[in-house]
Amino acid sequence: MIEGAVWRKWVFYNIPLILFVFILLFPFYWMIITTFRPDGELYRPWNAVNYQPFWTNNPTLDHILYLFEETSFGRWMVNTMFIAAVSTVISLFCGVLAGYALARLNFPYAGGLGTAIFVTYLVPQILLFIPLAEIIRNYRLGDTPWALILTYPTFLIPFCTWLMMGYFKAIPKELEECARIDGASRFKAMIYIILPVAVPGIMSAGIFAFTLSWNEFLYALVFLSSPEQKTVPVGVTSELIRGDVFFWGPLMAGALLGSIPVAIVYSFFVEHYVSGLTGSVKG
Amino acid sequence: MAVTAVSGVVNRPIPRLRRLEDERWLALSLLTPTAILLGLFIAYPFFEGVMLSMTSTRVGIDGQFVGLKNFHKIWNDSIFRTSVWNTFWYTGVTTVFKLALGLWLAMLLNRHFRGKALVRAFILLPFIIPTVLSTFAWKWMFDPTFSVINWTLFQLGIITQRINWLGDPDLAMTSIIIVNIWRGVPFFAISLLAGLQTISPELQEAAAIDGARPWQRFWHVTWPLLLPVTMVVVLFSVIQTFADFQLVYILTGGGPANATHLFATYAYQIGIGTGLLSEGAAISLAMFPFLFLIVVVQLLYIRRVETR
Amino acid sequence: MAMTKRRSVLKLAGGTALGGMAGILATGRTPAYAQQKTVHWLKWVDFVPATDQMFRRELLPQAEKDLGMKINLETVNGNDLQPRLTAGIQSGSGPDVIMSFNSYTHLYANSVVDVAALAEEVGKREGGIYKYAQAICSNGKGVYMGMPWTVIGGMIAYRKSWLDEVGATKFPDTWESYREVAKKLKAKGRPFGQTLGHTFGDAPGFTYPYMWSWGGKEVEADGKTVVINSKATVDSVKFMTALWKEGMDEGGLAWDDTNNNRAFLSQTISATLNGASIYIESLRKPDQYKTEKGMPLNKDILHAPLPKGPAGQFGFHLLQSNMVMKYSKNQDAAKQFLSWLHHEANYRKFFESQKGFATPCTAKWENDKLWDADPVMTPYKVAAKLGQAPGFAGPPDAKAQEGLSKYIITDMYAKAVQGMPAEESVKWAESELKKIYSA
Repeated sequence: MIEGAVWRKWVFYNIPLILFVFILLFPFYWMIITTFRPDGELYRPWNAVNYQPFWTNNPTLDHILYLFEETSFGRWMVNTMFIAAVSTVISLFCGVLAGYALARLNFPYAGGLGTAIFVTYLVPQILLFIPLAEIIRNYRLGDTPWALILTYPTFLIPFCTWLMMGYFKAIPKELEECARIDGASRFKAMIYIILPVAVPGIMSAGIFAFTLSWNEFLYALVFLSSPEQKTVPVGVTSELIRGDVFFWGPLMAGALLGSIPVAIVYSFFVEHYVSGLTGSVKG
Repeated sequence: MAVTAVSGVVNRPIPRLRRLEDERWLALSLLTPTAILLGLFIAYPFFEGVMLSMTSTRVGIDGQFVGLKNFHKIWNDSIFRTSVWNTFWYTGVTTVFKLALGLWLAMLLNRHFRGKALVRAFILLPFIIPTVLSTFAWKWMFDPTFSVINWTLFQLGIITQRINWLGDPDLAMTSIIIVNIWRGVPFFAISLLAGLQTISPELQEAAAIDGARPWQRFWHVTWPLLLPVTMVVVLFSVIQTFADFQLVYILTGGGPANATHLFATYAYQIGIGTGLLSEGAAISLAMFPFLFLIVVVQLLYIRRVETR
Repeated sequence: MAMTKRRSVLKLAGGTALGGMAGILATGRTPAYAQQKTVHWLKWVDFVPATDQMFRRELLPQAEKDLGMKINLETVNGNDLQPRLTAGIQSGSGPDVIMSFNSYTHLYANSVVDVAALAEEVGKREGGIYKYAQAICSNGKGVYMGMPWTVIGGMIAYRKSWLDEVGATKFPDTWESYREVAKKLKAKGRPFGQTLGHTFGDAPGFTYPYMWSWGGKEVEADGKTVVINSKATVDSVKFMTALWKEGMDEGGLAWDDTNNNRAFLSQTISATLNGASIYIESLRKPDQYKTEKGMPLNKDILHAPLPKGPAGQFGFHLLQSNMVMKYSKNQDAAKQFLSWLHHEANYRKFFESQKGFATPCTAKWENDKLWDADPVMTPYKVAAKLGQAPGFAGPPDAKAQEGLSKYIITDMYAKAVQGMPAEESVKWAESELKKIYSA
């Protein structure tokens, strides 16, 4: 891989990589341009003479201002972050404990239980949301963040459990046994010896769970109603698809700003994400 | 490896130090929170959904128990059959492309170059942006009147007529597949990159010394070691793609003329759009055995790969 | 089904397992209006943004003051009303008043409260409710499932100067001449544009009246016998296929309700069936929308009804009504609020903010001076009067609504346009409709 002429390196590595990055990021460039483009320039047909799709000479902040002044975008961001963070923590808590039990403890029906948890991941959301709406009402959770905080774990826990199971299995048993010989209880050994080793795995499960909750649309649409309770995906689509004429500017601004927090989280944790995933699949 | 325990009991010898009782109780208490949450918010609604599919319930009207009548009805429904075919086609094609492109991208990233961390963080963007919002961006890029893609192709002299991305039935499916691949490649790439990094470079070097060509090195050294992680990533991607809803709902709503309906979007149109709740439930339940079968096959395959 | 039984069992289970949860969570809710009655109104995000602003800033605060209750206005995308309705009805909680599109009223008839008293009162005061609105909002036996709110008229918006250039001094009034003009204009790169996609407004708004005008209909007046497979329908499909190739923008198969607006405003199509929003938008931003000659675009737009066919001239417009939900614990307050909204002075504020986009459902408003203010908007004043509902010649009941939600008529044309023989696509529609009407 290291040997070879410079052109080979370009042909086989650099150019494909540049193409990949270009294609994967192009829609984001498109969002940025749309966000800053004045309305007047937005609607020119693809074969128009004066169409200048990739640049604008008159950048404007109107769309972003609109987003913050005319909608509760700030609120939606806070809501989404709060909901995503809390449901991630809950799912991690459950997933880590369950993953540990399934991977390292010997008890009857362990396999069956593991399968059952995995199978819940297969149940289509579209089937669940109507019965769930009833449950949400019975517990009087409607239009509160808790409606989502308690339902999101249903699709997060199976994933976290699965990921953590793999990770725990990869940790050598000797580590735990040493601690036990030194007199630690099984529970203590788990908390003080195994969990710290599993931190990268927990991180990557957490990041993944956070992304999924940030993304969710259907439950958020159905279970929340007040404008100030909504999450970013629902808020942006239900308040910005306004009129059958214009919405692209603020909509794209919302999409862009809505993905920045997760992007920041990722840029910090991508290293852990990779190593965490590595741990979980090594076993 | 993770999934062994999922699919079967692990029979490991009981070490001297452990007391069985202790372990059972611990396991029970550790599993309790998960059991409560999943039991309340999945098991019950799932049961409710299954019951619903066997009644004649319409929205606001409690129905009678009708057994498997709804399933019989959808089986004879041409749009349902189209949706089944579409779902398989959609899942199959996107998975192959996501895997191939993801693997390629992972290999490109698995070496040292300047700005690696930055590139790695950036290419994840398609995966982390809320699907609804990125899909709207795509919808605009596919807009028959304003398509920037058409503009580019036109300027490059590749097309003279516009491409009717979402309006032509075959192209509409292709467009949806493109968006799904775009969204999925980063996840594949990063996960496979994680797998690649566990493969020690010495193995490669040893093979190179033995005179293996790059392709042979990949096929005989890298690929077998990468297989477990690949299978797991594919498994998760298949589950998500098979039950996909948002993407199609926003891009075409199942049109033109039902050419792009998937299980989930058709279930939505029937259950919510026309108020035939029980039939909608039957359609979304019909997805379950298919998905279950696919997953079981994959799990068995993963086990075989691991134990050999 | 023993719904209630299971619910209570669940409650019990929930009560033991999650004992304190409801209590803890309850603290998260704002107790501010605990004493006051609250009415939660769910409506679509208005296509005229000024209206929602007016509601939030002016009309609803006024209502709160007059009625001594709190009004929660929630707006969602028109397409998302149904999941909210379904979840609300099945779970027995949700908004007190929900806006209905077309025959949702029939679809959800079992879950709403009769508002006949209000409808009759308003009808008496305002010169009678149009037949179209009556057919959609009432069951024909004196029960009103929804209070008719307004009609979003669909008229063809067209470019006067472009039609002039090909020798059409007024908009063609038969389908033959429509096809001819479209053909000439498409040759100049300015086709007519219409959607045949899965979208709730413009697609059925075009295909249903088109079918009726040829003499095609879904069912007989008995609301049972499917008669779509007729020579008239087949002819209409054949004509559409030719029309599509010769004179229409072929991108239309993918359009939703917004695409034709953008296409029109960006001057790629010369005519399209739409609400008045294209014209209103061009009025709002005269500097931005100019014709190729530099004139303001709004001076070059006129409206016309859909052309006539062998069987007559028809229109199908989006009719909105407000339903008071049966599960609501504030039904009286909700009715009070609705009645307040329909007071003339209050309704007028809404009406005027729409600038003709919305046509009221009672006769009185037809002669309102608002229609004289702008002759371009005048054709819309009769939209509600001339409309016909899906399911014709049968009633616009739940079955008709099912056919509409499944896009059967639209898809029948879309399939043919995509190459399926006309007879076959009509046969397909027949078999789909039979499934609905035989159930």
